[in-house]
Amino acid sequence: MAHGTEVMDVIFGLDPRWYAGVLFCLTYLFIMSERINRAIVAMIAAGLMVLGGVLTQEAALQGIDFNTIGLLTGMMIIVAITRQSGIFQFLAIWSAKQVKASPWGILVMLSLVTAVLSALLDNVTTVLLVAPVTLLITDSLNVKPYPYLFAEIFAANIGGTATLIGDPPNIMIGSAVGLSFNDFLFNLGPIVALLLPAMLLPIYLIWGRHLQAGADARQRVMDYNEADAITDSRLLWQSLLVLALVITGFIFAHDIGQQPATIAMFGAALLLLISSLPRSPGDQSRQLEKIFSRVEWITIFFFMGLFVIVYGVERTGLLEMLAHRVLELTGGDATMTTISIIWASAVASALVDNIPFVATMIPMIENMGGLLGGPEALRPLWWALALGSCLGGNGSLVGASANLIVAGFAERAGHPLHFMRFMLIAFPLMLGSVAISTVYVYLRYL
Amino acid sequence: MTTTASTDPHPTASSLMDPNPSVLHPSDRIGTAIGTIMEHRYRRLPVIDDEGRFVGVFGVSCLLRLMMPKAVVMEKGLESAPFVRESLADLHRRLEQVKDEPISLCMHEEMVRVSPDTPVLETLLTLYKNRASLPVVEPESGKLVGVISYFDVASHILEAEI
Repeated sequence: MAHGTEVMDVIFGLDPRWYAGVLFCLTYLFIMSERINRAIVAMIAAGLMVLGGVLTQEAALQGIDFNTIGLLTGMMIIVAITRQSGIFQFLAIWSAKQVKASPWGILVMLSLVTAVLSALLDNVTTVLLVAPVTLLITDSLNVKPYPYLFAEIFAANIGGTATLIGDPPNIMIGSAVGLSFNDFLFNLGPIVALLLPAMLLPIYLIWGRHLQAGADARQRVMDYNEADAITDSRLLWQSLLVLALVITGFIFAHDIGQQPATIAMFGAALLLLISSLPRSPGDQSRQLEKIFSRVEWITIFFFMGLFVIVYGVERTGLLEMLAHRVLELTGGDATMTTISIIWASAVASALVDNIPFVATMIPMIENMGGLLGGPEALRPLWWALALGSCLGGNGSLVGASANLIVAGFAERAGHPLHFMRFMLIAFPLMLGSVAISTVYVYLRYL
Repeated sequence: MTTTASTDPHPTASSLMDPNPSVLHPSDRIGTAIGTIMEHRYRRLPVIDDEGRFVGVFGVSCLLRLMMPKAVVMEKGLESAPFVRESLADLHRRLEQVKDEPISLCMHEEMVRVSPDTPVLETLLTLYKNRASLPVVEPESGKLVGVISYFDVASHILEAEI
């Protein structure tokens, strides 16, 4: 049923589609301008969607995907506790020493560590943990950190594409469509395994073959004692146990009839419990405050506001109308529609925040189901959206939150990643990865 | 009768400060500034521009910062690095690399300051919260007019008749 048939009592008797559409476009513009924090923009726009009469409060709450919110928050809490053990520094240093501190070897190993961690945690957290160690290692090696940070941005966005929990677009798609952890792993894992070496090849040709470090510098890295990075071994084992349980839970979520948010939030609660047990009640409260302060509330509130805005637009029938227009343009052909989605998502995600883009695309694609032959026929479109929006983030410095985090570190370390210099190499590389993904999607699903 | 800080019923920062402090300029070389700091064992010195306007401070914390890898001293960097094994020569090497750079590279700009009219209790409270000597800056012109240390304030207080 078209949502647009609902009767909406919009302020000043305005057309609901116009009111919601203009509000939506203004929200996008303000988010893109970055003049006002994106969470504030989303909250104001969500409020106007309700106050303006497009949604009731009950409808607005229905629009919020609490599965996405719960999954994000749960994983943020687990990572906030786990990072205190020093495991992430341990992994980075250990991997650098496995290649005898060879500059190119370290770049490959840190990219692999970043990709794997990004698949299991969110990208922002991963680069927050890996980038400072990278800067420390490159300082000891006396080499420029630029190629390392560039490769880590790519590895984070590519690695995050592989799983349900790796990147916010996947969390949103998985939650909205009911795709499981295994669905993402088996459908996107193979192409991610191919894209990672394909990305490292040009990086080797551009920078890698010129990377050199003296014997003294390499010895400085070899002298690092990774075991000393583990600052709390008890917490380390507790964290690894809970992380293993949570990942196992994600793998079997479908079989046990549970949603990922429940698994992540229960895992977070379990880790909070076992890590708090030896502490006094006062200590527990202080620890809890510290952990909760590390949850990225800006992201959480941004998501909640955004869900309300997109739900408001969807209820007016505007997205259904847009979906029909897109299908008219592609002639209703599934192959053409899928390829259009992967490329449009990639280019859009390179230039604007991929989270609002994906939030808008999900209901649009859902609306195509009836014309393309039902939910099963939409499967390739979901993988196209996930691949395009995750990989597209590599196209520019503003393409993904992880890129901006790395750029911030680089700036503070005195090695800024300039926007145009980054884009000149990153954008073509991103297009290459999308071309490979298009071939993959075509051969496997179309 | 002349009113001094110890007899003034309502003394302010201007009556407690040292009006002729040692100063640095933004273009001074880091190597030179380190020499001055080490020679006189200053914890930090105010930095002023050519018009006498206060622009920041340079001190031992900058010195320590320059000796360490940026990854451990930058905002949101590593909170600790117990796994790194460095020699004194490694630390010295980092300092040598920047000794000819201007101190503006490292000076602390977001510095708490007081105005000449700040009452004594507020001055004391600011000193207590910041645990370091305070620049006294004219609010309108931004000019540095003096520096207040713990010892300046304490000596005036101890001289006051009860």
